[in-house]
Amino acid sequence: MTLLQTEQLTKQFGGLTAVDEVNMEVEQGEGVSLIGPNGAGKSTFINLVTRRLEPSHGDISFKGESIVGMDPHQVVQEGMSKSFQTASIFPELSVKENATIAALAAEHGSFRFNFFRHRNSYPAVDELADDVLRSVGLYGEREAQADSLDYGNKRRLELGIALAAEPDMLLMDEPTAGMSPDETQSTVDLIKRVKEELDLTFLLVEHDMEIVFDISDRIVVLNRGSVIAAGTPEEVQNDPAVQEAYLGGVEE
Amino acid sequence: MTVLADILTILLNGLQQGAIYVLLAVGLSIILGTLKFVNFAHGALYLIGAYLGLFITGQVPLSNGQFADWGIETYGIGLGFTAALILVPIIVFIIGILMERFVAQSFYDRPDTDQILVTFGLAVIVQELLRALLGGNSQPFPQPGWASGPIALPIIGNFPRWRLGVIAITAVLVMGVYALVEYTDFGLIVQAGTLDGEMVRLLGIRLSRPYLVVFGIGAALAGVAGVVGGPLANVNPNIGTEQLVPAFLTVVIGGVGKIEGAVVAGLMLGTLQVALIQTGYAAWSQVGIYALAAVVLLVRPQGLLGSEVDVA
Repeated sequence: MTLLQTEQLTKQFGGLTAVDEVNMEVEQGEGVSLIGPNGAGKSTFINLVTRRLEPSHGDISFKGESIVGMDPHQVVQEGMSKSFQTASIFPELSVKENATIAALAAEHGSFRFNFFRHRNSYPAVDELADDVLRSVGLYGEREAQADSLDYGNKRRLELGIALAAEPDMLLMDEPTAGMSPDETQSTVDLIKRVKEELDLTFLLVEHDMEIVFDISDRIVVLNRGSVIAAGTPEEVQNDPAVQEAYLGGVEE
Repeated sequence: MTVLADILTILLNGLQQGAIYVLLAVGLSIILGTLKFVNFAHGALYLIGAYLGLFITGQVPLSNGQFADWGIETYGIGLGFTAALILVPIIVFIIGILMERFVAQSFYDRPDTDQILVTFGLAVIVQELLRALLGGNSQPFPQPGWASGPIALPIIGNFPRWRLGVIAITAVLVMGVYALVEYTDFGLIVQAGTLDGEMVRLLGIRLSRPYLVVFGIGAALAGVAGVVGGPLANVNPNIGTEQLVPAFLTVVIGGVGKIEGAVVAGLMLGTLQVALIQTGYAAWSQVGIYALAAVVLLVRPQGLLGSEVDVA
C-alpha cells in the first residue's frame, strides 16, 4: 500500500523553484531517505508534506487521500508524525511525563471523557508510555527531568514522543544533527531496531551518507528541486547523475 | 500577653489575611500561566462571589440604589452561610466559563494591553452595575453559625473561630487544586500547555476544553474568596478592585503559574501586612507589601518559585 504520494509537487518562492514537479511515493513499511546537496529542496519538500508550506501546484496524498488543505495538526492525527529538527520535548517535566503526554494525545486527543482520572489509572496510556520509553531505551531514566538528559537522550525522547502517537509514517529531519559519533551510531541502531520491531515506515532527511546507506530501503536524490535519481542504496550509489551532483563539489 | 503570644497571633492573623490573597492569586496565576491571559476582572469575580454570598446567606435591607427606588426592600434569600459556601463556587465557576468563552477566548492571541483593557472594562461594569442596583454602602456579612465566636487556643488565648475556618478552607481548596494539577491527566496536559502550548497542539491535543476548565477553577476560587473573606470585612462595590492589586503582587512574587509560589507569596504578604498593622505601623502596611514585591523582583525577576523562561 502506498502511504505517501506526491504528484507534480511544486513550490516556487518568487522566481526560485525550490521543489520542481516532484513525484515520489513511500510504501507501507518502507524506509525512504531523501538526500541531496544543500539547497536541493529537501526542507521545502518536508515542509510541504507536513503542511507548513502551501504548494504552488501539485498534490500530496496520504493513505490515498489528498492532504492539501489540511492543518498541520490534522496531518498528525491522520498518522504522520514528525521528529523535529530542534529538540521538541517538555524540559521541565519528567521523561515519563513527556511520554505520557504523547500517549494521551494518541489515545484521547480530544479529551472528551474521564477528564479528571488519575494519570496512572488508565492502563492503555500508561503502558503505551512505558513501551515507548523501552523502545527508545529511556525506561531506566523515566523519573529524570527531561532537561537533565544529555543531547543524544533528548533526541531519543523526542523520537519516543513521535512514536507514542503510533504514527503510520514518521518523518525525521536530520535526527543525528549535532550528535557525537557515539550518539549518532546509537541513534542509527535505535532507528533500525524500531523500524524492525514496529514495522515502521519512515521518510528521512539526512546529510550523513553513511547513515543513509545504512538504514534506507530506498533513496531519493533531489538536486535543484528535481528528483535526479531514485532506487536502492546500491543503485543510487552507482548512479552517475548522483556522483556528478555530489562530486560536482556542492557539498560532501 | 507574652511576646510569644503576640508573635503567634500575628502569624495566625497573617495566615488568615494571606489565605484570601492565596485564593485569589492561585486562580489568577494559573490563568496567567496557562492561558497567558491577563485577567483584570479577577477582582470582579471576588466581588461577585461576595455579593452572591450575601444574597444566598441572608436578607440585607436595601436603603439606596435602583432596587430600593423600585420599592424592593431586601436583597437575599436567606439560605445560610453553608449554602453560600457550596453554591457560590459552582455559580462563579459557570460565570468563569462564560467569561472564557465570550470574552477571554477572542483575546488570547492579542497583546496584553488589549486583555487588560477589556477585562478592566468588564470589572468596572460589574462594580458600577452592583453600585447602581444595590447602592454603594457597605453591608455587614454574617458569620456562619458554626464558626462564630472565639476559640481558646494554647498560648494565644481567645482567637476568632472563623479566622481559623478561613485558613482551613483555603488549605483544603488549594491542596485540591494542587492535586488536580499534579496527579491527573488534566493537570499534566495543563502543565504541558503552560510550557509549550504549540507543541501540545502539534501532538494532536485540543487545549480549548482544559483551558475552559482552568478558567472556571480560577474563577471559582475567586468566588470562594469573596464568601470566606466577606465576614472578615464589610462588603461594598469597591472590594474587587481593592483585592486585585495584592492578588497580582502575590502572583508576580510567587512566580507566574506556580501554585506553590502563590501560597508562599500570599502568606508572606498577609503576614507582613498584619505584622505592620498590629505593631502600630498600619500606615506602612500598603507600602510594605510593595516594598517586599520590589525586593523579591529585584533579586529574582521570575518570582520566588518561577522558572527562568516565563511569560513576559
